[in-house]
Amino acid sequence: MSKKPTAGPALHKVIMVGSGGVGKSALTLQFMYDEFVEDYEPTKADSYRKKVVLDGEEVQIDILDTAGQEDYAAIRDNYFRSGEGFLCVFSITDDESFQATQEFREQILRVKNDESIPFLLVGNKCDLNDKRKVPLNECQVRAQQWSVPYVETSAKTRENVDKVFFDLIRDISSRKKQRQMDVKEPAKPSPCCQLL
Amino acid sequence: MAPQPVVTGLSPKEGPPGTRVIIRGEFLGCRAQDLIGLKICGSDCLLSAEWKSPNKIIARTGPAKGKGDIIVTTISGGVGTSTVQFRAYHETIGPLKESAVWIEESPSQNFAWGRRTLTQSGLTQEDPLGLSIEGNEQKIPEDLRDLFPDACGDLSQENFSPAWFLLENHLATSFEDLKAGLSYLKRKVESQKEGQLSFLKSNAGSVIDQLDTLMNIRDKFQEDVKLYGKEPFQVLEQSIENSISESQKIFNDVLVRKEKADSTRSVLFALSRHKFLFCLPNSVDRRAKAGEYDIVVNDYSRAKNLFGKTELAIFRQVLEEVDQRILLIRRQLHEKVVKMPQSVEQQKKLIKALTSLEMQQSGTAIGDRLRNTDPAWDAIEARAKYLESTFRQTFDQYATKDAATQEKAKSRDPNQPPNRVNFCEELCDIAASQLPDLWRLGQLYFTGELRGPHDPKPGDFKRMVLTAIEKFCIYLRLTILIAADQRALRQSSGLSWPIGSSSATHHFLPWIPQCLRYTRIAYATLIGLDLPSDALDIIQKLIDEVRLFCFSIIFKRATDRCKKLGAQETWETTVEDYPGATQLPAALEALLVETLEEVQSVCMQPEVREGNLLEPHSDGQREVTQRLQELLSTFSGVIAELAYPSHDDETPTHNVSQLLGFPNAQQPESVSGGGSGSGGGAALNWEQRMLCCLANYAYCNKSFFAHIGDIFVRHGYPLPTLAIETARYNANQLFTNLLEEYVEHKGDPLVGTIEPSMYLGRFQWDHEMEIGLGQLRPYAHECLDNLVGVYSEIYSISPALLRPILESIVQTISEELARLMSCVQHFSYTGAIQAHVDIRLLRDGLENYANETAKNYFMEALEAISPPLNGEQKRKADEILERVKRNMRLQLLCFAVKEP
Repeated sequence: MSKKPTAGPALHKVIMVGSGGVGKSALTLQFMYDEFVEDYEPTKADSYRKKVVLDGEEVQIDILDTAGQEDYAAIRDNYFRSGEGFLCVFSITDDESFQATQEFREQILRVKNDESIPFLLVGNKCDLNDKRKVPLNECQVRAQQWSVPYVETSAKTRENVDKVFFDLIRDISSRKKQRQMDVKEPAKPSPCCQLL
Repeated sequence: MAPQPVVTGLSPKEGPPGTRVIIRGEFLGCRAQDLIGLKICGSDCLLSAEWKSPNKIIARTGPAKGKGDIIVTTISGGVGTSTVQFRAYHETIGPLKESAVWIEESPSQNFAWGRRTLTQSGLTQEDPLGLSIEGNEQKIPEDLRDLFPDACGDLSQENFSPAWFLLENHLATSFEDLKAGLSYLKRKVESQKEGQLSFLKSNAGSVIDQLDTLMNIRDKFQEDVKLYGKEPFQVLEQSIENSISESQKIFNDVLVRKEKADSTRSVLFALSRHKFLFCLPNSVDRRAKAGEYDIVVNDYSRAKNLFGKTELAIFRQVLEEVDQRILLIRRQLHEKVVKMPQSVEQQKKLIKALTSLEMQQSGTAIGDRLRNTDPAWDAIEARAKYLESTFRQTFDQYATKDAATQEKAKSRDPNQPPNRVNFCEELCDIAASQLPDLWRLGQLYFTGELRGPHDPKPGDFKRMVLTAIEKFCIYLRLTILIAADQRALRQSSGLSWPIGSSSATHHFLPWIPQCLRYTRIAYATLIGLDLPSDALDIIQKLIDEVRLFCFSIIFKRATDRCKKLGAQETWETTVEDYPGATQLPAALEALLVETLEEVQSVCMQPEVREGNLLEPHSDGQREVTQRLQELLSTFSGVIAELAYPSHDDETPTHNVSQLLGFPNAQQPESVSGGGSGSGGGAALNWEQRMLCCLANYAYCNKSFFAHIGDIFVRHGYPLPTLAIETARYNANQLFTNLLEEYVEHKGDPLVGTIEPSMYLGRFQWDHEMEIGLGQLRPYAHECLDNLVGVYSEIYSISPALLRPILESIVQTISEELARLMSCVQHFSYTGAIQAHVDIRLLRDGLENYANETAKNYFMEALEAISPPLNGEQKRKADEILERVKRNMRLQLLCFAVKEP
C-alpha cells in the first residue's frame, strides 16, 4: 500500500464493482474511449488511467475494473483496499445483480471501514427500459437507505456515463480536501476511528 | 508527426507470462505496420502484438516479472509512455491448475538411477500451520520483495521471514484460523519433544516395518552362513578381488582394442585427409593426359604449399614422386609448346602452365635436373620457324605443281586461276593468319604475361618478325613480279619459280590485280596488329611495286589494244574542230579513260598505309611517262600503218596526165570522187586515207595530245609533259614523213608530166607559133588542172593540209619550170611570149602557195627566156595573159582563196 506519491495532478482511484455481465467494463470503456463493446468477455482485473478536467482542475482518474464473477470474490478485498471511490453497478434488467449490490456494499464497507466512502449506486442498461426487472423506486429506496446517490446509465447510449464518473471523483476530491484540512487541525480524531 | 503513443488501459492488469492483454490507449499507430515496438514490463511482445485500432492492441505478455510499464513504439509517434502498469507474476503450476503455457509435468530431477530420491520434500510441501490452503489463492497485490528486501518466504531458507510467509500463504486466513494454526504448530513441536512412547505411538506403522526388515535381514544372513560358512566375508572379499582383477583384465583388453581402433581410425583419417596428396601422382598424370594442365598446376602448387616443408618421410616420398611426374609433364609440355600448328590460345595455356610449373620447381633439387627453359621464347621461335617452313612448303608445292601442269597440258582453262595466283592467295592467307599469331604471342611474351624468369630478347623478336615478313615479301615478289629482274632475288633467297612458257606468263598477267588484292588483304590484317613500321614498310614497298607492276601491265594491255585500234578505223571524219581527223583519236581517248579508270580502281588508289605512286621523280612517275609514251607512239604507229598502203591494197593510180594517155586514164574519179567524207570508209582510196592520217597527226599534235594530258590530270596524275612532248615530236616526225610521201606521190607524176607535155607534138620553143588566141600551152594547162585536182582532194579531206602540201608541190613545179626553161637554147619571138605567159600565169595563179624558193624559181624561169622579151613582146604577153586569166578564171579562183 505504500504507493509513492505521484507528482502532477491528483490521482483518484475508482473501482468498478458489481455482478458479472452488468456492464462495468462497458461503462469504463465508454468513459475512457467512447467505445461500446458489444461482445462479452469476462474481466479479471483491468486497469485504466486518464487525465480529466474536473471543475477546472486537471486530475487523473484511475479506474480498476474488477471481475464480477464469484470465482474472483476472494481477491476482491485486495482491490477494494486501494479504492478511493466505488461505482456499484447492477443491471436494471437483472434483479439478481441488484440484490448482489448489497453484498458488494457490505464487503466494501468492511474493507474500507468507512460508511461515507464515496459510492454511487448505478443502474446500468437503462436503454433497455422495456426489459426492466428492477423497479426504479426500489433502487431509489436502497440508495436512500445507504445514503448514496442513485443514477441510471446506459453504456450503449452513453447516457449519464460521464456523470457517474465525474460525480464520484468530485466526491473523492472533496473528501480528500476535507481530510487535508483535518490533518491541519489534528485536534480531534476522525469519527470513523471512533467507531472502531 | 503524430503525438506519442499513450497506453491508458490494460485488460487484465496482471497475470503470468503468456497472458493475453488488451492494451488500450491513444495514438497506438495508424496501421499495423506503424507499430514497431511493444514492451510489457521490459519484455518485447511485438511478435505477439495484434494491432486492432489506434486505440487498441492485443498482445501476450512475455517472461517478465514484477510491475512495469507498457511501452508502445510507432513510426509515426515514436516511443510512448503508459499511465497504467502491468504486474507479471509466476505461478507454480500444479496438475490441477489452469495454465496459459505448457508445463512439463513429469518431474525431471526426481528419478535418479531409478531410485527414489532420498530428500525429504514433505517439510516444504506441508503447511506447517496445518491449515487448509483452500481459498488461499488470493494473491497479495504488492510485491513482497518490495516489503521485505532481505527476506524470503521459503521455510528452508536462513532468511525466512514469517511475515512474508503469512502474507504469501495466509492472506485470507482469519485471525482465528491463524491462532488455530499456531496451536497446531506448537502441538507438532511438542509432539516431537515428547518421549519415545509417544514417538513410537505416532510412528507405530513404520517401527513395525523396520522390525520386519530386520527380521528379513537376519534370515538372509543365516542362509548365507549356511551357504558360505562362518566367514562369508572372505568369500566375499575373494570374489570381490576376483571381480576386480577380472574387470581390470576386461578393462585393459577393451583399452587395448580401443587404442588400436583409435590409431587405425586416425590413420584412416590422415589418409583421407591427405588423400589429395597420395592421389596426386596419378591424378597429375591423368590430368596431363587429358590436357587439363591448369588443374595440374593448381594441384601441384597446392601440394607444394601444403606439404612443401613437411618433415614426414611419407609425404616427402610422395612429393618426390610428384616432382618426378611433374618433370615428365614439363618435358611433354615443352614438346607440345613447340609443336605446330596450334592456336595461340592453346600455346598460351601451355606456356603458362609450363612457366608456373617451372617456377614452382625452380630452386629445388629436382627442378635443377631439367634446365630452365624459356618456353614462351621457344614457342615464338617454333612459330616463326613454322611460319617460314609453311611459306617454303607452300611455295615448293605450288612451284612443283606449276611445273607439272606446264609440262602436262598446254591447254589451260583461262578462267582457272594459275598456280601462281593460288599460291599468292594461300601465302597471303598464311601470313594473315600466322603472323598475327606470332606477333600476339610476342606481345604476350614482352608484356610479361608469358614471361618466365628470363629477360626478354626484344631485338631477336623484332628481327624474327622482320625476317618473316621479308620472307613473305620475297615469295610474293618471286611469284607476282614476273617481269622484274629476279636474278638477285633468286641468288639471295635460293628460290626460284620454275620459268614457264611465255603463254603461261601471259596467262598469269591478268591475275596480278587479284594477287594485289590478296596481298592487300594480308597487309590490312598486319596493319591491324600494330606492327613496327619498318616491318610494315617492307610490305608496303612490295605492294607499291606490285601496284606499279599492275599499272604497267594494264597499260601494256592498253597498248596492245591500241595496236588493234587500226582495225576499227572507219574513216569517218567527224572531229568537229579539226576537219579531216577521224574517230581514231576518240577511240584512243576512250581506251585511255577506260584504262585509267581500271588502273585507278585496281592499283593507283592508295589504300591504308600505302605510298603515293606518283611522287615527283619517282619510279611511278617514270613508269607513267614511259607507258604513256609507249601508248602514244603505238598510236602514232597505228596511224602510220593505216596511212601506208598494205600489200593487198589497190596500187596507186597515176592517172595524172590525160595528155600522155596512161592506161588507167579512164578512171578520173579519184580526183573528183573523194570530195565528200560521206562517201564512207570503203569508198576512200589510199590517198584520201593518207590525208586522213595526216589530218590525224596534225590533230594529235595540235590538240589531242594536250587533251590526253588533261585526262591524266583529271584522274589525279601529274601532267605527263615529257611523254606528250615526245609523242608530239614523234607524231610531227611521222607527219613530216607522211607529208613528204604524199607530196612525192602527188607531185612527182605531176612534175614529171610537164616536160613530156611541153614537147608533145614535136614542139620547139624556137618555132614560131600562134599566140593570138590567147591560150596557154597545154602543159601549163595540164599542170594547173592537175594542181586543182590535188587541191580538191585535199580540200575535201582536210583544208588545213592544203598549204604544206601544195607549197612543196608548187616549189617542185617552179623548179622544174626553171630547169626546163634554162634548157631551152633559143626562143622564137612568139615562143618567148608564150613561155612568158605560161610562167607568169603559173606564178600568179599559184602565188598564194609559193614560198620564197618557188618564187625565185619562177623568176629564174622567166629570166631563162632568151633572148629577153622586148617591150612589144611584153605588151603582147600582158595582153595574152589578161585574156588567159579571164579564160581560166575558175581554176585561178580556187588558188586565190588565201585561207580556205
